[in-house]
Amino acid sequence: MNSFLLALAMILLTVIMYFIMNALYVRLRSPFLVPILTTTIAVIVTLTIFDASYNTYMVGGKWIDALLGPAIVSLCIPLFKQRDLIKKNLLPIASGVVVGGVVGMVTGVLAARLVGFSNELLATILPKSITSPIAMQIAEGLGGVPSLATVFVTIAGLAGILIGPQLNRLLKIDTALGQGIGLGVAAHAIGTSKALEYGEQEASMSSVAMTLSAIIGALVGPLFGFILFP
Amino acid sequence: MKIVKTLIQVVFLYLFFMLGNFLRQWLSIPLPGSIIGLLILWGLLSFRIIPLNWVEKGAYVFLSTLPLYLIPATVGVMNYGHVFKGKGLLLVVITIVSTFITMAMASLVSQSMAKRNEKDEVELS
Repeated sequence: MNSFLLALAMILLTVIMYFIMNALYVRLRSPFLVPILTTTIAVIVTLTIFDASYNTYMVGGKWIDALLGPAIVSLCIPLFKQRDLIKKNLLPIASGVVVGGVVGMVTGVLAARLVGFSNELLATILPKSITSPIAMQIAEGLGGVPSLATVFVTIAGLAGILIGPQLNRLLKIDTALGQGIGLGVAAHAIGTSKALEYGEQEASMSSVAMTLSAIIGALVGPLFGFILFP
Repeated sequence: MKIVKTLIQVVFLYLFFMLGNFLRQWLSIPLPGSIIGLLILWGLLSFRIIPLNWVEKGAYVFLSTLPLYLIPATVGVMNYGHVFKGKGLLLVVITIVSTFITMAMASLVSQSMAKRNEKDEVELS
């Protein structure tokens, strides 16, 4: 197959699956049917059936991936529209992000160390709560595997949006601020895509949390490595 | 006409992403181009250099379909099945449990502090 047709097929596969899964989610409203999870599974299953590799998929996938950048830039809009809410809650937001960020790195690395995984894997799992490009940088800087780091980032993101609703009920997290910060800190962009479902305030909180985590992560992530596995 | 306007806004947002990427390389800023672009746009909106209605419609096109753009990255998990066989499965468990604790702490800390703030304000007024 020539590469143009291949790219087109992969793009169509992704877009059509996404809209089917989205319709299913809207109809059934089960938190386990979030389109990002179901579409990912559907695409992987389809690729496996046709014996196509991830590299083959990315011939088309890269064009969709290219739109992630401007989509992240777009998060600026809820962020800007909710600026009063952010200004009023600067300290709670910053505290939640810092505490959550530190807890995220420390608990993951310590647990993995306790079980006896290699330093390479510890460095790879450390930045799992932070958005992929930064997570890759941090993992690489600490001697981890950047591409595997994005896998942990993905698992953390999906886990975050699956457990988020239950966690909110269990711990009585009933404000847009609490829910949004939790999603943004623990589940980065995937969490923010979930926060957009809840509303503009939740989305703005999640975007702030995601952005701040990325900035803080880029600055102090490498430092944490030294403390956690000297 | 409306579609053309929205399309121009989409392109405009893409330019911010490219500007972010350019600055990242030029100044070696350790942040992704998308986040640099977001921060610049936020600054321009805040200082009223760019009005919100120049970007709002385009942004909602992206935001209403945000999960779609994450899928090429999440599908990448398929390359790493072998890592999570046997003992490696524990890494998935650890990631999930750690994410749970992370989210709980971030939510609890921010919400309880915000609620205390509100209470203080009520008492002051």
